[in-house]
Amino acid sequence: MNTRATLSLTALLALAGCASTPKPAPEPSPPPPPAQEATAPATPAPTAAPTEVPAVPLHQPKPLERVVLARPDTPIVTFRLVFHTGSIDDPKGKEGLTALTATLMAEGGTQKLTSAQLLEALYPMAAELEVFPDKEFTTFSGRVHKDFLPRFVDILTDVLLAPRLDPAELERLRTNAVSDVENGLRSANDEALGKVALDALLYEGHPYAHYVGGTVQGLKSITLDDVKAHAQRVFTQDRLVVGLAGAVDDALQQSLLAKLASLPATGAPRVTLPPVKSSAGKVVIVQKEALSTAISLGTVYPLRRGDPDYFSIAFALSHLGEHRQFIGVLFNELREKRGLNYGDYAYAENFIEDPGSTYNRNNIARTQQLMSLWARPVEPANAVFATRGLVFFLDQLVNQPLSQERFDLMRGYLQGYTRLWEQTDSRRLGYAIDSLFYGTPDFLEQYRQAMTKMTPASVQEAARRRLHPEALGFAFVTQDAEGLAQALRSGQPSPISYASKKSPELLEQDQAIIQLKLPVHPDAIHVVPAQSFMEK
Amino acid sequence: MRRLLPLLLLMLGLALPAAAQSPASTAFPYTLKTDTLPNGLTVVRVPYPSRGIIAYVTVVRVGSRNEVEPGKTGFAHFFEHMMFKGTQRHPEGEREKLMGTFGFDDNAFTTDDITLYYSYGPSAGLPQLIEIEADRFQNLEYSEPSFRTEALAVLGEYHKNAAAPYLKMEEALNATAFTRHTYRHTTLGFYEDIKAMPEAYDYSRTFFQRWYTPDNTLLFIVGDFDDAKVMQLVRDNYGPWNRKAAQVSVPAEPPQRGTRTVHVDWPQPTQPRLVLAWHTPAASPRTPDSALQALLIDYLVGPTSPAYKSLVLDKQLVEAIGSDAAEHRDPHLFTLTATLKEERSRDTVRLALLQEVSRLAAGKVDAARVKAAQDHARYGALMALQTPRDVGIQLGWNAGILGTPDGLQTHLRHLAQVTPAQLSTFAKRYLTANNLTMLSLTPKVAADAGGTK
Repeated sequence: MNTRATLSLTALLALAGCASTPKPAPEPSPPPPPAQEATAPATPAPTAAPTEVPAVPLHQPKPLERVVLARPDTPIVTFRLVFHTGSIDDPKGKEGLTALTATLMAEGGTQKLTSAQLLEALYPMAAELEVFPDKEFTTFSGRVHKDFLPRFVDILTDVLLAPRLDPAELERLRTNAVSDVENGLRSANDEALGKVALDALLYEGHPYAHYVGGTVQGLKSITLDDVKAHAQRVFTQDRLVVGLAGAVDDALQQSLLAKLASLPATGAPRVTLPPVKSSAGKVVIVQKEALSTAISLGTVYPLRRGDPDYFSIAFALSHLGEHRQFIGVLFNELREKRGLNYGDYAYAENFIEDPGSTYNRNNIARTQQLMSLWARPVEPANAVFATRGLVFFLDQLVNQPLSQERFDLMRGYLQGYTRLWEQTDSRRLGYAIDSLFYGTPDFLEQYRQAMTKMTPASVQEAARRRLHPEALGFAFVTQDAEGLAQALRSGQPSPISYASKKSPELLEQDQAIIQLKLPVHPDAIHVVPAQSFMEK
Repeated sequence: MRRLLPLLLLMLGLALPAAAQSPASTAFPYTLKTDTLPNGLTVVRVPYPSRGIIAYVTVVRVGSRNEVEPGKTGFAHFFEHMMFKGTQRHPEGEREKLMGTFGFDDNAFTTDDITLYYSYGPSAGLPQLIEIEADRFQNLEYSEPSFRTEALAVLGEYHKNAAAPYLKMEEALNATAFTRHTYRHTTLGFYEDIKAMPEAYDYSRTFFQRWYTPDNTLLFIVGDFDDAKVMQLVRDNYGPWNRKAAQVSVPAEPPQRGTRTVHVDWPQPTQPRLVLAWHTPAASPRTPDSALQALLIDYLVGPTSPAYKSLVLDKQLVEAIGSDAAEHRDPHLFTLTATLKEERSRDTVRLALLQEVSRLAAGKVDAARVKAAQDHARYGALMALQTPRDVGIQLGWNAGILGTPDGLQTHLRHLAQVTPAQLSTFAKRYLTANNLTMLSLTPKVAADAGGTK
């Protein structure tokens, strides 16, 4: 492999403000208590959706905190250097600076090696050196065969300590980043665009709101001096967790830590994240040429790993729609039975597919998380029906307990499937590092333990407390934006016809879906042309 | 879901006798135990210290290459979807329950040459998995309404992929470079054929009988399990499967006799693209042609190639260069691809890439770079095997293409044996002007303004 900056449209995060309706003054929610085993809380009554979600800071590991998962039965060493910095640290008007800085460090060469020489050094080793910037975290990851370990450690540490920061490379990577927005995000991936648009809508006015890769004007305004200064501000010891796995010994740990101790001890103060105001009923429709309509909906909520309800909600939303798996309700109801699209899923937290798998990436934690539902593109004529379908089955999740049979099936499924999430050294490291920030040691095992104590009733009670269909915000990508806006404003039924015979039960259920009142505010529907999305 | 990206297979000429064992090597540190059942099913087990996790990979040597009837393109891929629909013993929906009980990741993908199914999860579920897999491969059954509904999911998949230019580029290139061979259409198939799929229920049954046969299938089981018990279960469950693969005549592609070009206007903002494609030989266990092409990609446009250094890093005329060439069962295409930063660089970039090909064909080979590419390939292969799933899919892919259960090891051996002179000879023979098809793609926005926007 070679150096690669992994910032793509699948890194679904966003910006582009949409007009909002003023909300009443919020009542702050209490901070989540420390992690504990999930048990059925004693509050069966549903609570109202919060009008805003405060920022309860994540845990802060000590500078250069080490996570080591050594094992003798592999010749490969895996590195995961996770900095608690991301696009939230982009200065206003310089959106994309953190990602561009990280990419330039990883790809642009070191003081000893030009970018071409860096590639030549890594190439025969097939060593991997990648960077993945996100909202709050930026991960430099590496893998190398132990045959080349000393050389690789030198290169990896030089990337962090002595990056070349070459002006020509900055121009090359900036051009690519602008193209990623103009030609990629806006044009070539409607699914990703829908997810980014949802993030922009839900986090409007918040440092999460802009696309991690930046805005066109933000990227164009960045200078080499900005990059040099930013590297010193955010890639610092006090923000870094060092993960090592595989063929690791004490000597490697010592030498790596000794080198990384040359990073600046501290830098910029941590960004104070504001509360996220409710986006209930808001809609953004991104208008672009498209054969089908992409749909994402969700809400920011004060729930994240470590909250006593987290495991129950994760369980409930896996039941509703585990990512790219057959078992979810949405997949079965909307795709398998009705043929609406290619897939339909639900998420309890920020989700970015780890390449080559169907699992969530590690180290993309957020202080203020969201739950979301995703319908892969549907025929435009079925867009409102599909949206209603998503909301209908979410409503069901909140208002009806799972049958014992279904609950047992999902529990067995997740007892096995969650083990697949930790099958590589890199992912095991990722979970361990995330656990430092969330305060959730042994997270997946804790999840499996928690499931042994859940019941259908406890899951439903958690869903009633924490999932609020009425609080959803909606994002669409479609060609006939005005037509869709009109259909949403009107609230008219959205009948559907099928090419094949359907069961009476399904057709009866359809009647409820067709009529379902979507929690959409007619005056909060905004159309955004794709070509202006993430411009500044 | 259930389908990865459509990618890319031959006829099963088993190279190994029953109960063969392929030993571990530095390039592939696992042992293959291979048996062939009397019905022709090849069963490969790979012990892997996976702490109770197994991968179960079934490769059927059928892909869009086999779609010889007009109007039935895309059917191998569509049929992959139908394989999840159930049987009399396990009606639709029951598979999800069984997979759910254990937590298997259960999916499949189709390519031009193979259809590969995998289940990945706890070894505790292996007995049930063997039973349900053997049942569906022998006794698949689905209703016409279910078939019609799934056709819409396939259409949705096409629409999803059509948002980016790649699908259109592949369609245009294949339809230009191939005049007779079924590689003229992509794995997804022609759009018109996809829209007509709901009407093809009867044909789908024919397709199943024709290709889903034990002599056209290889099974790979990777992980922690008792080999004797597993083989007994496999024999008991798959033994009654008793069909023979059909013979269809895939039209041979006649030699190309002159450069061809094809242009795509893309109606949305995107970067201009350039593809150079030459007809090259099929992958085969008996020749190094596949390994040669793999190394050729890195040699010509890899991250340490002169073209990369010049076009990407120094002159910054292109955002990326590379290749989307992959092993194929029949002669396919070797491609060089470039994502341009500006339309006006098109000729410069094309000539620069062709010059690299010419230098190689003229015998000017940098042996050190060939060696580096071989080292990269060897270590890269090792590093790509992180889980039982990785091992199973890599083995299945190569076995399916090459028609031999140890296809991956054969490929790795060929990679290590390629000489600089062979690369040069290959380029001289195949990467010629008469054998070239060039594709250009330009966004509809004024191309002569220079740049995409």
